[in-house]
Amino acid sequence: MELLTGLLHGFQVALAPASLMMCVLGVVLGTVIGVLPGLGPSATIAMLLPLTFKLEPTGAMIMLAGIYYGAKYGGSTTSILLNVPGESSSVVTCIDGYQLARKGRAGPALGMAAIASFIAGTFGVVALMLVAPPLAKVSLAFSSPEYFALMVMGLAMVVLLAGDSLVKALLAMLVGLWLSGIGTDLFTATSRFTFDTVELLGGIDFIIVAIGVFAIGEVLGNIEPHEAPSMIPVPKGLRNLMPTWDDMKRCRFAFANGSIVGFLIGLLPGAGATIASFISYGLEKAVSRHPEEFGKGAIEGVAAPEGSNNAETGGALVPLLTLGIPGSGTTAILLAALTLWGFKPGPLFIQDSPNLFWGLVASMYIGNVLLLVLNLPLVAVFAQLLRVPSYAMFPLILGVSIVGVYSNASSMFQLGLLAGFGLLGYLMRKLAFPTAPLVLGLVLGDPMERALRQSLMMSQGSLAILARPIPLTLLIIAALLLAVPLFRRLNAVRMQVLDNET
Amino acid sequence: MPTIRKWCVAALAAAGMMLSGAAPAADWKPTKPVDVIVHTGPGGGSDLLARAVVTILEQEKLVPVRMNVLNKPGGNGAVAAAAIYERKDDPHTLGFITSVWLANALTTKEAKITIFDLKPIAQLLLEPAVFAVRADSPYKTLKDFIEAAKAHPGQLKQSGGSITSRDNIVREQLQHATGTKWAFVSFPGGGARLAALLGGHVDIMVIEPQEAGEQVRAGKLRVLAQLSDKRLPKWADVPTLKEAGYDIQTTPQIRGVVAPPQMPTEAAVYWEGRFAALVKTAAWKKYVADNELEESFLPGKQFRKSMDDTSKELHDEFVKAGVKVVR
Repeated sequence: MELLTGLLHGFQVALAPASLMMCVLGVVLGTVIGVLPGLGPSATIAMLLPLTFKLEPTGAMIMLAGIYYGAKYGGSTTSILLNVPGESSSVVTCIDGYQLARKGRAGPALGMAAIASFIAGTFGVVALMLVAPPLAKVSLAFSSPEYFALMVMGLAMVVLLAGDSLVKALLAMLVGLWLSGIGTDLFTATSRFTFDTVELLGGIDFIIVAIGVFAIGEVLGNIEPHEAPSMIPVPKGLRNLMPTWDDMKRCRFAFANGSIVGFLIGLLPGAGATIASFISYGLEKAVSRHPEEFGKGAIEGVAAPEGSNNAETGGALVPLLTLGIPGSGTTAILLAALTLWGFKPGPLFIQDSPNLFWGLVASMYIGNVLLLVLNLPLVAVFAQLLRVPSYAMFPLILGVSIVGVYSNASSMFQLGLLAGFGLLGYLMRKLAFPTAPLVLGLVLGDPMERALRQSLMMSQGSLAILARPIPLTLLIIAALLLAVPLFRRLNAVRMQVLDNET
Repeated sequence: MPTIRKWCVAALAAAGMMLSGAAPAADWKPTKPVDVIVHTGPGGGSDLLARAVVTILEQEKLVPVRMNVLNKPGGNGAVAAAAIYERKDDPHTLGFITSVWLANALTTKEAKITIFDLKPIAQLLLEPAVFAVRADSPYKTLKDFIEAAKAHPGQLKQSGGSITSRDNIVREQLQHATGTKWAFVSFPGGGARLAALLGGHVDIMVIEPQEAGEQVRAGKLRVLAQLSDKRLPKWADVPTLKEAGYDIQTTPQIRGVVAPPQMPTEAAVYWEGRFAALVKTAAWKKYVADNELEESFLPGKQFRKSMDDTSKELHDEFVKAGVKVVR
């Protein structure tokens, strides 16, 4: 009952014209910065923060949150169309989204990204509302050993991201892990593999690597002389641009997977939307009846990660609002904003500021609907982009990539890195190395190393700390993930042998 | 706001006399947007402080141009220091520094440009901190914790940042003074450190008072001691380290403003005056009170001395703690 009155009250707050305006403003702005690679929600919110001091805090919070989850809707657009991830949480979407676009199915892929985002985003809000306080306690049970096991599970997924050769995938992953080690070590303040350059002290930003190996590598691969320049067909009419009923049926599990995995990982302050999207993608492929289609344009490969990164929003707001613990740069700014407006995010926040909490929750329901309505018609507009001939398209992709990376850190060194990783991506394509494991290794390497070292510091060097229930379960899942394809392969060999004998 | 203008004039005049010595300061004013360089990404401590300062400077009309915060993350300040240095004599560039830059200058050999190559403008703040444990923890006082650490050497745990952070230095000092040992577990962000404490994975942490306040009010944390010389206004019933029985000189956590090395004197005088005016505004006082910070304004010259002193203290502590010092 308390919940209903709270929510009703929240809708009263959120449906007030001023709040509604702020919500529209936030989600539109969020979509735009999501589409633009480089410019992310954290930088945008930070820039807008001074302006919000003149606004009424609830409206301001509704707008800033709108930017936060709106950006996750927009992030998939360039992933699908250009193979350039718009946001770090849309890196995985490149894998199948871009392949779909190359098959002329950019429309359904974009539409599915919006629908999955809507379903999972809404699920995230419902979950935030229903279970925030009790689940906040659960998230505290997660500490370094648990994170370590989670990251190991993530790395085990490399067998799922691998192409024909598991060895090549593992090699790519190891390179990714090595790259993640570059920079200043948190524990000892010593620098590793920096070659006496100041620029490498902070490590290598994985989004540069992702844009380099995915987008630049793709462009370099495509400008080689082909027999016939490939033109991507774009069907006409809005109806043909939308996902079919069959697509929706195929994605049933992806919706549930994205919603639940995204929300649960969002709860953990040490994981985040990027890791959530990778894990949802891996899970989707692991349980799929046709895993061979992944990487070649499976629409579930778009629905699962895009859903997941949106459900993560609801999850990430749980520790932020109920414990005062931010899990990412963006939530740290939201926390600072709340403090500056005079609110006190922490265990008593919901009790102290029901207006803001319920207004925010209600506005997120509205915002998700707005985003769906906003994004579906845009599909038709964006899909036309693929009619652009390749002599204009490739410079466009290069331009978007370079501007994206430069606007992030305004440093020429980073552009050099982008070029280097573009070349690496090209070579990997030529030598048939999968690029996704490299990016996965880079994303997971640093948090994994950190979590292991923290665990061992906690246990005075004893590995027994990893035998706690949650880490143990996750490690067993990881082992199964690694073992199942091996068994399948052995089985296939055995079958072949049997066939030959008869 | 006539009073503020009066303050500005007075502060400007005072600052002018202090910095320029014999030569009277020429009138200089910024004529184009100013870049404010910070070493953290959006949402980091320096970033948030810089944005708050810029907002107040603009709202109070203390500066006639726009000021843009420019994030130059990486290398614990090394990248930002190099970026400020590259601006040579640009009077339209400022940077926000913290004690992290001092520590970094001592421990990172790649950092060829350090804070000491830049022009100090003004020290703004000291950041207080407190020792906190979970509310259901058996340790009611810092002494309880130290006794427990004595009884179980190496088994108690403290969450914190890097080993060059203030959290670890005060731990080293306490261990040294009491002959105890407990573990220090590094986490990259304040959120993760707090989560580790609340979740029962570590026993104690050094936390900013404003952050601790909400948790104490909700009955989740208990504060054992504060790392400052005198008691903070909102924590009048919590002893300082000295009052708790541990006579330790903690290294202060400084926040201040620097400029490119060859910034013309008249521009440096102008900026020093602006910050002197800033710290007198009501908006600033409210910001400092809300965030439970400690006001500590020092003009350029004294700021330089404050940095030198802190750097020396850090150097000694690093050597004692076995941190590799390169300068």
